[in-house]
Amino acid sequence: MSKTIEITVLPNGQTKVETKGFVGSECRQASQFIEKALGQQTDEVLKAEFHQSASRQQPVQEGG
Amino acid sequence: MSHIVSIQTEVRDPVAIRSACDRLKLPEPVFGQVKLFSNSATGWAVQLPEWRYPVVADVNTGKLAYDNYNGRWGEQKQLDRFLQGYAVEKAKIEARKKGHSVIEQPLEDGSIKLTVSVGGAA
Repeated sequence: MSKTIEITVLPNGQTKVETKGFVGSECRQASQFIEKALGQQTDEVLKAEFHQSASRQQPVQEGG
Repeated sequence: MSHIVSIQTEVRDPVAIRSACDRLKLPEPVFGQVKLFSNSATGWAVQLPEWRYPVVADVNTGKLAYDNYNGRWGEQKQLDRFLQGYAVEKAKIEARKKGHSVIEQPLEDGSIKLTVSVGGAA
């Protein structure tokens, strides 16, 4: 799966940054440069894939 | 897929301010001290359409100074449009610095989506 960072800039100038195709916490490193450049982080939602290790899939818990 | 981060845009890059002005066909930003109605501000001044006073960006703090008299001296939507243009241009500049390709796409709700390809896949 290709790795992408999707940036949605709302009409009021607020931004949402979403990473796709990354495994575990590498997504954070991948998109950090954009997040820092744009401004103050107000919210972060970790998705299921964040909790997967690179080698094998593990059961996923909500709310991590 | 891994995480979603929400960000409140801070205006800190003069190059992206200039790009946003080009993009929105606004006059070039000017650096200096600008008088607003009852006070003054120093930074990059941007003249928005039909605003009585410019918006002044302090790139050290990321804050904007302006006086639009609760919308009577300038519509909020013009400021929002500038912030959106700034964020789009800033994200594109940073992605290209890293050597990533960027595709820009307008969405129906007025948002702008940028897709940054990481790791060579253009």
